[in-house]
Amino acid sequence: MPSATLLGQALISGVLAGGLYGLLAMGLSLSWGLLRLVNLSHFALAFLAAYLVYELGTNYHVEPWWSAALIVPAMFAIGVAQHWLFDKFKVNELASLLITFSFAIILEVGIQLYWTADFRRYETEYATRSLKAGPFYIPILDLTLCLVAGALAWGTWLWLRCTYVGKALRAAAEDPGIAAAYGVDHKKLAYLLSGIGAAYAGIAGTFIALIATLAPAQIWAYLGVVFAVVIIGRLGNPLGALLAGLLIGASESIAMAVLAPAWAPVVSFSVLIAILLWDPEWL
Amino acid sequence: MNANGLSRLGAVVAIGVLGFLPMARLPAFYDSFLYLVFFWVSLSTSWALLSGFAGYFSLGHAAFFGVGVYVTADLTTKFGWPFLATLPVAAALPALLALGVGAIVFRLRRLRGELFALLTLSVTFVIATIILNTPIDGGGGIFMSAVPLPNLMPTPTGTIYLLGFILCVASLGIAWKVVHSRLGMGLFAIHDDEDVAEAKGVPTLRYKLIAFALSAAIAGAVGGVHAMYVGFITVSGTFELTVPLYVVLMSVLGGARSWFGPAIGAAAITALLYAFISGGEAMVGRAIVGVILIAAILWLPDGFVPAVKQWLAKRRRATPPPAIAEVAPVMPAIKPVSDKVLLEVRGATKRFGGLQALGGVDLDVREGEILGLVGPNGSGKTTLINVVSGFYPLTSGSVKVDGIEIGNLPAHQIARRGVARTYQIPRPFVNMTVLENVVLAATFGMEHSSPFKWGGGSVIRDGGVMSDTFDAAHDPSVGVRRRHLPRRRGRSASEIRDEALHWIGFTGLAGKEEALPAALNLHERKFLELARALAAKPRLLLLDEVLSGLNPAEVDNAIRLVRAIRAQGATIVFVEHLMRAVVELSDRVAVLNEGKLFALGAPREVMRDPRVVSIYLGKAYAA
Amino acid sequence: MVDRVGAWRRRRVLAGMMGGAATLAAPGLLRAAPSGKPVRVGGTLSLTGFLAQTAMLHKIASEIMIEEINGRNGLLGRPVEYVLLDDQSKPEVARSLYEKLITVDKVDLIQGPYATAPILAAMGVAQRYGKVMIQSSMGIPKLQTYDRAFPATPFGSEPDVTYPNVILDAMATFPAPPKSMVILTSKFPSAQFMALGMKAQAEKRGVKVPLYLEYESGNRDFGAIAARIKEANADFLWVGSLGLESNLLLEALRKLDYKPKNHFHLYPAPGPLAVSADGDKALCSTFIEPDEPFMSRPGMKRIAAEYKEKAAKANLPYPTIDAQACGMVAEWQILEAAVNGAGSLEDEKIAAWLRKNRVDTIYGKARFDGPYNHGDAAQLIKQVQNKEWKVVWPKELAAPGVKLIAS
Repeated sequence: MPSATLLGQALISGVLAGGLYGLLAMGLSLSWGLLRLVNLSHFALAFLAAYLVYELGTNYHVEPWWSAALIVPAMFAIGVAQHWLFDKFKVNELASLLITFSFAIILEVGIQLYWTADFRRYETEYATRSLKAGPFYIPILDLTLCLVAGALAWGTWLWLRCTYVGKALRAAAEDPGIAAAYGVDHKKLAYLLSGIGAAYAGIAGTFIALIATLAPAQIWAYLGVVFAVVIIGRLGNPLGALLAGLLIGASESIAMAVLAPAWAPVVSFSVLIAILLWDPEWL
Repeated sequence: MNANGLSRLGAVVAIGVLGFLPMARLPAFYDSFLYLVFFWVSLSTSWALLSGFAGYFSLGHAAFFGVGVYVTADLTTKFGWPFLATLPVAAALPALLALGVGAIVFRLRRLRGELFALLTLSVTFVIATIILNTPIDGGGGIFMSAVPLPNLMPTPTGTIYLLGFILCVASLGIAWKVVHSRLGMGLFAIHDDEDVAEAKGVPTLRYKLIAFALSAAIAGAVGGVHAMYVGFITVSGTFELTVPLYVVLMSVLGGARSWFGPAIGAAAITALLYAFISGGEAMVGRAIVGVILIAAILWLPDGFVPAVKQWLAKRRRATPPPAIAEVAPVMPAIKPVSDKVLLEVRGATKRFGGLQALGGVDLDVREGEILGLVGPNGSGKTTLINVVSGFYPLTSGSVKVDGIEIGNLPAHQIARRGVARTYQIPRPFVNMTVLENVVLAATFGMEHSSPFKWGGGSVIRDGGVMSDTFDAAHDPSVGVRRRHLPRRRGRSASEIRDEALHWIGFTGLAGKEEALPAALNLHERKFLELARALAAKPRLLLLDEVLSGLNPAEVDNAIRLVRAIRAQGATIVFVEHLMRAVVELSDRVAVLNEGKLFALGAPREVMRDPRVVSIYLGKAYAA
Repeated sequence: MVDRVGAWRRRRVLAGMMGGAATLAAPGLLRAAPSGKPVRVGGTLSLTGFLAQTAMLHKIASEIMIEEINGRNGLLGRPVEYVLLDDQSKPEVARSLYEKLITVDKVDLIQGPYATAPILAAMGVAQRYGKVMIQSSMGIPKLQTYDRAFPATPFGSEPDVTYPNVILDAMATFPAPPKSMVILTSKFPSAQFMALGMKAQAEKRGVKVPLYLEYESGNRDFGAIAARIKEANADFLWVGSLGLESNLLLEALRKLDYKPKNHFHLYPAPGPLAVSADGDKALCSTFIEPDEPFMSRPGMKRIAAEYKEKAAKANLPYPTIDAQACGMVAEWQILEAAVNGAGSLEDEKIAAWLRKNRVDTIYGKARFDGPYNHGDAAQLIKQVQNKEWKVVWPKELAAPGVKLIAS
């Protein structure tokens, strides 16, 4: 039986690691839930951002936070441009999935052409610092990630929930006709939202550069788990996405602490299946 | 020989030639490449059976494929089974898995598309992890070089080719058969509106399970052959997430609602992926494939096959279709209301959580009667219709039709006992033409039959061959005559089509047979609801506010129509707010208030009852 | 910005290619230039897809070797032409492409692809057409069941027995020989194969294995695993890792303020582990490094220099030649020796020659007369010292002045 320290540490590590799932899921959840567009290229955009952070940091010694300040607006612009394409061609949910899948392939190739397929690792001092709390260690970078994700999720959630704009957006997701009744330009809002979603990919990418493996094929590594997080967290709900991310991260980590680590996916996906079958109201 | 026969002959010749192609001893690469085309065609076609036809978008196709791969890999290497003997198991086990998964997830109350996609995806991960961590694989991979391959063809690659080809023909054959059968019709209806499909008599759960199991069985058998083709099996290579994504891409690009659309998509994309294999251009080639795919989806959002069909249809429309079917003459004879009780509701209660929508309603409806059901908003009228038609299960109480308890039967079985309904806001199957909508109701209403029975499906798919039945459509008595026949099994497609055309004419929709519901106005859509209900030849017809939203002339028209329906022997319960219609049409009126039967009697008396007036207009006014 | 840099890089690559062509044309080596109809050698690499990380190094190594061979006498006096296809990291594609190479393109000879699954898929094709196939990256020798398949890398026929003992021998020389060992491995077939061997041999020699863990290949979060390793606190940590898994694991350990006493890594990406702050003193498997005594082997200096130049041009992050790239070099060396030695392009004769003769490769003398056509095992241990990989074991092959450092 694993010790309490081990379990506690696994829980802390897992919850914090789940922050990345949540952060990646948030942008996806917004565009899927509120625009009815499934953006698979979200992952490719995040990795593009990560590679840019890596490039600026390794070759030009730019601090990742300054890189992010450049990259996130650029991602916003890419998101807007993507939406222009979706809007012009009146793309539906399924077609958006396939178009962005193809777009992700193109981005993957682009990344490989410039950075090669070889593994890249951005060495920073941020990656390994920890706070000590009793017998437990809290990695500062992961904690920062969770706090940023939490702030973004909370802010976006409040914005959607409490402001006129947010209400109109949610109404438009249910029925575009109603948005017109609100007297809100739904189209402009959709561009804004698409940009925000891509900007979140940029923020997620900044953290990916600091904590994860960089290789072009890694674009697909997060797809399954983040897709699950998006749906469990309820489409269009950034706070739900983050919480679901933390839940999956924690369940994976606890499973790795108690069982053979290779069994972890069974545990986290069984948790998912159980939640779906239990079919709670909030889902 | 007609065109149909020619194309059939062509198919037979093509199958024969392709089947014996390895005999020609082409370079093995061509056998191999064509095998991979067949492989993707089979996978994408099988995916479309459930996900394309019924709209249940699965991301778990790799799970069924992968189980098939490992069945063959394990049985041949660990248990010494001959390769061919493993294939039936490789098909059966995934089918059982699909039935198990389906039996659980299809019962979920709010199974939305994305939930189904996630569930199937999760199943893939769970199965992959189990295989990885148990002796099924264990992590080391399975090497199959020692497994003997039967010599069905002169070369080993030829043998694999032949097996792939057989599976490909089988998948296309199954898809064709499904599309041209009741099963396919039912699946297309489920795609558009599952609740309505169920209410029209489609056994939705069973059909979804059959489609799911078929889809999984094909994927599994394909996996079994593919294990032999690949030769070294690993979990990460087998359960790759890009497999389902490519399958979806191929199906959608070709046209996932057509039986051969996925095949076209699969062939095109496989060829495209092989166009850039040389070392110098591999990477750029991959990007070009991406660009081509994006362009294809943007310009052909529904897929290649529907786009071609539309284009052909446009060309054909140059010759205007002949005017067909007229409004049926209204039968003047009014049958007396018999004493026999057709619908017997006792203590019907329906609760939603804490909210009580029906609080013990007792109601008898006699055969041949028109019963008006009125009451203020929220009094439980529509809930009563939903309970009787089986959309909601009863919380307690009983509902009997003709003495048989139906209170807890699934909706499609209630429909087949002769209960039909309409919806207050019309809910046509949006991707089906008016004719197809009515044919579906005619096929599934009041009849039991095997899902593979040849039915009206061919009408739906081959819209162009209608002309030979127009004569029958002109005879308004066809449908009426048949209505009095006992339940008949195995009506032919053309009989069902005749009936459908009759009811389209009867409701005044003649000339709109080939229109999609989106092209109809509200009035026409309401009448389409009626035509669908009538085509089921109901003994009990439940009408939910058919008159709301119609202008006075249309209301008169509709009232005449309801009378005509009753004249043919149907018993009618109708919910209505328009008092003029209630009084004109009803033999009796039942008033519901707060989920309870409040008053019952002759229309004029009930409507004058001060208590009834008070619940409509407020107590003070009545006093 | 990305675009501009990309364009600039394309120009550079183009210039590089022209430079390569120039080298080829220049009569740098005073031999008879090969002439006549080229000998076409076909092969695939995973240029795209999830195995693509190492394809570029193999491609560069091949280009260098073709220039080398053509700069000498070619194959039987004829120039070599390399027909390279992309198997997209998929064994089913690899199979069909080898069929294409053999039956449509009708190449004279074939070279093996990279990684176990594509190699086995290609081996089946080679077997059906009786082609000799030389491969360099299959870590499970017993799967090489085809009698005309030859390994270019000196794994030996039972690396799961021999190599763990090399490690245990090295451990035994530590001032305080480790008494316990945590074994952690990816469930990647060749890594898991070695981990199981390591466990068996360690226990046989009295080293306790208090913790043996397998994680899914491509695992992202090592937090919980790190906590378990910390708790087990063994004297030695053996990691069956691929790619960056070792970096992620070591970082996760440091987040818990734990530094493993001694740690070994099986197949990590060499560059990132060497420069990582946590990689110091890390041990790793290798067959060769660009140092003495290996630099004295015939051709090694020239090849290493050329590799460095080409790899830098291709923007590879770690432009130093390593054991992976050398595997491809050895493949070509063996093919060249066998074809010229047998005096024939016939596979039967080439295979027969290889079974009877020894070949001088960049890895040393290779023989192919043992089980599964494998010869002697020559797997070494290298260590990160001052952010560079240095061979430390066995002592006679250690870099000059470099010793195995225990912590």
